[in-house]
Amino acid sequence: MEIWKVLGAESPYLFAGLLITIELLAGLLTIGFIGGLILAVAEVYGGKLLSTLTAGIQRALRAIPALVLLFLSYYALNLPPLFTAIIALGLRSSAYQSQIFRGSIQAIKSGQLLAARSMGMSKLQGIWYVVLPQAIRLAIGPWSNEYASETKDTSLAYVIGVVEIMRRSRYIISYTYGNALLIYGIVALVYLIITRAGNAILYWLESKLWVPGFEKRG
Amino acid sequence: MTKKSLTIGLLFVFLTTVFLGFGLSAAEKDVYKVGVDANFPPWTWVEKGEYKGFDVDVIKAIADVEGLDIEIIDMPWSTIVSALGQGKIDILVSGLSITCERDKIIDYSKPYWSVNQAILVSKDSDMNAITAMSMGHKVGAQSGTTGYMWVEDHLIASGVDVTLKPYEDYIMAVDDMTAGRLDTVLADTTTAKNFVKKGRDVKIIGTVATGEQYAYAVTKGDPYNLLSKINEGMEKIFESGRWMEIFQEYLAEYGYAPPAKIPLTRELTCE
Repeated sequence: MEIWKVLGAESPYLFAGLLITIELLAGLLTIGFIGGLILAVAEVYGGKLLSTLTAGIQRALRAIPALVLLFLSYYALNLPPLFTAIIALGLRSSAYQSQIFRGSIQAIKSGQLLAARSMGMSKLQGIWYVVLPQAIRLAIGPWSNEYASETKDTSLAYVIGVVEIMRRSRYIISYTYGNALLIYGIVALVYLIITRAGNAILYWLESKLWVPGFEKRG
Repeated sequence: MTKKSLTIGLLFVFLTTVFLGFGLSAAEKDVYKVGVDANFPPWTWVEKGEYKGFDVDVIKAIADVEGLDIEIIDMPWSTIVSALGQGKIDILVSGLSITCERDKIIDYSKPYWSVNQAILVSKDSDMNAITAMSMGHKVGAQSGTTGYMWVEDHLIASGVDVTLKPYEDYIMAVDDMTAGRLDTVLADTTTAKNFVKKGRDVKIIGTVATGEQYAYAVTKGDPYNLLSKINEGMEKIFESGRWMEIFQEYLAEYGYAPPAKIPLTRELTCE
């Protein structure tokens, strides 16, 4: 069939699109991870003012649809589309990740921080050296869910001109005047593979880094 | 520490935006961003990682004779006109029709092509041009296109019994029609002829003489004085024969007669 020949010739360019998707995913998850930890620590330990403020930021970011955030950032920032998408989706992810980390921080008994303080650590040292190393490990399970949902949300970035795999596949549909089912089917398979592969790694990490004394998956 | 780094981070984002913003407000640019919607053959598309199409080759030729450095950027149709209006791109070339609505937010070059709207139906359909767009039939068009606007302004506004369905692109509209979920698709004549030529199960049963003209466009107010260069460039490449070469490559196969002169005279006047 003609279309398989076309797909063969286009495969390096689809792969280039896949690399952009992965760059976008890695970038937004990194921003989300750092931002999420900061928001979570501020929300749990920050005192009334700071925790109200961060909770407000986090709720606002979770309430705005990803597509709207993408357009807002595109028109507000003067950055290349890929960076714009990383920032927009990354900020949104930090709001979701903050709730994952908040939960896992609160799962660590408060006596541990008191014990750290009694050994002469400052509050921040106690959080950094005692609470977070456990909390982050506990967060891996729920975090895998965030990974999966952000992987799929990268497919929205084409609206502001990020030429990732979704957009690349659309090119082929356009100039062959059809084959939408086949090509989107292939794209769906690619997303399935990225999601499953990432989750497999995360599950492996989760059992490898299990915190003794807590329950284990399955 | 947490509060401080957050503040510094936000400040950084803010300052970068401001500085980049200033950088862009100069009267001349090193490289002009040419926006295309790469889903619109034969005007603009991407094949094996390369931008192709009539408009792509013409704007390259114009940039060449006018000494402009350009960079081609792909943007979906739903974003591209507002992106140009906001100055996110400098020039728009993508089989863009002149309309008075768009005239408010962007500025057009002189026109270079005339099109009408073709009425596409399934190959086995027995509708004619009149029944295809009345009697409660479902008519589809790409949203934001002149075909879509025509149905809105001339059929729905005068109470004709049709349902208008917007699509993100023509492929989806034609797919929906061949699947039986849509009765009629209204598309630019060139686009419609392409579907027939590529062997999709559709036929053209008539045209709506909208007398539209395609033109290139720049941000409102033409901040970089590009329009005069584009108009002059079109004339130069027509005289040198380059325009006809590009015409032969992309458009001659549809059976169009080449125009006697490029650029054309604009038909549409807006207040």
